[in-house]
Amino acid sequence: MRYGIVGFGTAGYHAAQAIREQDKAGEVHVYGDTGLAPYNPMLTTYYIFGKLPRSGLFPFGPLEEVADRLGLTLHHERVQKVRAQDLAVETERGVQRYDKILIATGATAFAPPVKGLSPQDAHLMRTVDDAQRLKDRLDRGDVRSAVVVGASMAGIKVVEVLEKYGVRVCLADLAPHIFPLAAYPEVSAAIEKRVAKRGIDLRFGATIDHMELWNGQKTAVMTDGSVVPADLVSLCIGTRAATQVVQGEVDIDRGILVNERMETSAPGVYAAGDCAQGVNLESGEKQIIGLWANANRQGAAAGANMAGGEARFEGNILHNITHFMDMDFIGFGDNRIQGELLEQGALDGDGLYVRAVISGGRVAGANILDSYRISGILKNYMLRLFAGEGGSLPDYQRAMLLQAGLRAEFIDRMEVMTRG
Amino acid sequence: MSKRYAIDLDVSKCVSCGACAVACMDQNDLNVKQTRPFRNVFDMERQEGEGTTYSHLSLACMHCVDAPCIVGCPSACIQKDPETNLTVFDTTNCIGCHSCAMACPYGVPGFGPDGKMVKCDGCYVRVHHGLKPACVKACPTGALRLIDLDGPEEIAPENSLRHRSMEMLSKQV
Repeated sequence: MRYGIVGFGTAGYHAAQAIREQDKAGEVHVYGDTGLAPYNPMLTTYYIFGKLPRSGLFPFGPLEEVADRLGLTLHHERVQKVRAQDLAVETERGVQRYDKILIATGATAFAPPVKGLSPQDAHLMRTVDDAQRLKDRLDRGDVRSAVVVGASMAGIKVVEVLEKYGVRVCLADLAPHIFPLAAYPEVSAAIEKRVAKRGIDLRFGATIDHMELWNGQKTAVMTDGSVVPADLVSLCIGTRAATQVVQGEVDIDRGILVNERMETSAPGVYAAGDCAQGVNLESGEKQIIGLWANANRQGAAAGANMAGGEARFEGNILHNITHFMDMDFIGFGDNRIQGELLEQGALDGDGLYVRAVISGGRVAGANILDSYRISGILKNYMLRLFAGEGGSLPDYQRAMLLQAGLRAEFIDRMEVMTRG
Repeated sequence: MSKRYAIDLDVSKCVSCGACAVACMDQNDLNVKQTRPFRNVFDMERQEGEGTTYSHLSLACMHCVDAPCIVGCPSACIQKDPETNLTVFDTTNCIGCHSCAMACPYGVPGFGPDGKMVKCDGCYVRVHHGLKPACVKACPTGALRLIDLDGPEEIAPENSLRHRSMEMLSKQV
């Protein structure tokens, strides 16, 4: 068998690993244009912050070691097109045919152009190059002020880095609150208070309109007319699935549409990771859930199936945990769904705060502040409810939740409300 | 010859005596003022309808075969030990993001004063040398067992914490 893997992030890596578990002899050809080992975009800010050495960005080791370990043939070239019908990969050097192809091209950061912003002052935060570029710039020591656009998990981590470098930071977003896709407005407000207390200038409902020079100072003119000094601008607005190589070849929505076997609409062509649009178990609809663990599971399922196995990855729910500025924010599910509220703790207090919204006998969404300990069990409970299981916690989970500070009344109420 | 081990609890034999937790703290030189113990012992009584249920439990890392914490760790700090299949870790590159905690449906991973993850590693070095994990050795009732996943069942499935939680675990991603 000849396998082609286009893109080599963690989804591609896990696919290669799964292929090798079942097929020791097949040829596995990996295409990547970075020349780098699989890396984790989430680690980029930790590298700049100094929590990780550069080698730490590559969790599975250097590229050559990975290739040796898994018996891969590396192609350091940009793929121009994947022709689904003839299972062919086109590059500048020619066309190669395979028996199975995986598209694991990930996602790329996007940012609209900002008038007056010079390219050397515009920073994205997604790739190793992005991280190195910002680190080099900050290490020069000439950045005194910055604007970060995008109050997302990536945005706040960039703010944390800039704060460490002693930069005066403004965090702006057109949305009305921080973490608009994950946090309930009340929780956002509490987080904003804590962030503002550290001296971060927060501006919501506004973004950069253009840049101007005011008395020699690079200055961001915001859409609300206010002005902010900005020696650099970090654009953490969002990512887009990198689907260009299969445009017109397979069904694409926001990402490449896949089923539970990670098959695309074209036989023999699979997709996994941030370019793939699998199932959101909460809504039942297809949605890109761009998470490390999701990419790993999708990649492993794709690889196993490419090698003739029977693997399924049913899907996931929206979830994330962000540890920043000495706090934890955890968001689960869809924060737009309204329902009955279950709450414990005080938003302006210390220690565990949890807010869950129950709708239709399920936990539609939850926010947790400052307690990672209950997060895994609560997520599991949500997943079991979405899978149609009845609402009760086994004694070992209940005991661990109680030990972590969740009150019996909260648990009992949650069980009653989700018992159907 | 590599094996596939896990630590399991026979819930019908546990009396919540806490010997396992003390042995674990001793073996791992845990300063419990800074780090919570790896092993959690519970003696839980609960009113349910007309009746009362009693749970005697000792819970630490279950060394899941398909461990969600391994999949969730962004730095690949958590791995399977090739000799024992126990879930071990090297936290050199741990960034303290708590993703492993969000992945674990048992609520097991903790964090030390340096912000890095800590948990039960199954006493894998002891196991390499033919010894039992400290908690298993200390358990006076034989409730905690180092089990060979490829050997005969050592604990009746209805009493095995591992078996009882398999369905729950299968839903975790």
